[in-house]
Amino acid sequence: MNAIKTRKVLVVEDSRLIHKMYEVMLRPCMLIAAHDGREGLARLAEHPDVDVIILDINMPHMTGLEFLGEVKQTPDFAAIPVVIVSTEGKEEDVARGLKAGAVAYLKKPFQREDLLKIIGRLTTDRTAPQRR
Amino acid sequence: MAFREQNPNAAGTDNGDPLATLMRARQLIHDAQQAIEEASQSVVQQRASSGEIPEREARLARAENDREELATRLLEVEHQVGRLMTLYVATYQLHATLDPADVQSTIAEIAVNLIGAQQFALLLRNEDGSALEIRMQEGNIDAPWSSAATYSGGDPLVDAALLDGVLRFGPVEGSPVLVVVPLRVQDVTVGALLITRLLSHKAKLDEEDREILDLLGAHAASALFASRVYARAARKLRTLEDLIKLVKKG
Repeated sequence: MNAIKTRKVLVVEDSRLIHKMYEVMLRPCMLIAAHDGREGLARLAEHPDVDVIILDINMPHMTGLEFLGEVKQTPDFAAIPVVIVSTEGKEEDVARGLKAGAVAYLKKPFQREDLLKIIGRLTTDRTAPQRR
Repeated sequence: MAFREQNPNAAGTDNGDPLATLMRARQLIHDAQQAIEEASQSVVQQRASSGEIPEREARLARAENDREELATRLLEVEHQVGRLMTLYVATYQLHATLDPADVQSTIAEIAVNLIGAQQFALLLRNEDGSALEIRMQEGNIDAPWSSAATYSGGDPLVDAALLDGVLRFGPVEGSPVLVVVPLRVQDVTVGALLITRLLSHKAKLDEEDREILDLLGAHAASALFASRVYARAARKLRTLEDLIKLVKKG
């Protein structure tokens, strides 16, 4: 099991249940919560130093893919790794998410081990030169 | 016979003295014997240590097995921790609010995000207990009751679960329902969650899903019951406060 160091993780997700789930599962991390894509962008502007973004797809106001598009077009945020965690689990959904710039795609319902593996890998492998 | 004490190192220099040669020869023999003794001791030690190799190899193999067993056990424990976290969060979230609408949306979030339900409906007995209202429906459920406001019976799986309050898995003939989760408070069935379709990447419900469904059956009902009672009490309180205000004005 990958150990997760204290990192800043932006969670863009409309379900309060899943926010609570991340809070419990990613206890060593500092979580920044946003409930839709629009709020996600606002939080990102306040916390440009986040290490990872966990992103849902189906959200009100601005979907996860729209948010991802905005993030990838913003030079300051483009290098932040984005992990999509969604109930949309068809092959084309996964391909669309990865093509849009996500580094990993996890289908709900997910196992804690799988989430920790991904977040652990991203927070330990990531090196400074990747960020602008 | 007496021998002249001589420095053995100097013996070799007395080339012409037979006694000195003899002494040197004695010294050489002594040195040789010592070397042989040391060599034999070394051989004995090596034999002894080579005898330990198989034993050490066996110990190493045992240690390796133990390590693998511990790693497997650790993974199992980690998985179990994950399951417990899921159950904890579901319970926590169900009881985190006293608003009936919030409890209902938490039930829906659990169904979608933790169980992987794509189509489901929530039936709840109305306040006077006369009918089972279809309070929430996700997706287009292909069932005769899905277009009505209340459920009045007819689905064999749902009817059976409502009757005895036992979790039931389908589908069975005459019912498109995959699972019926009766919601029970103090042995009274106050409603049911019906799941009719899972997400496309979720092949079937497993034992871990059953744990969450069992939890829902117990905690969703009590959370709904508590929130309804609270809402009713809050409504009465507001009415009384308004009445008092009117009396004071009068």
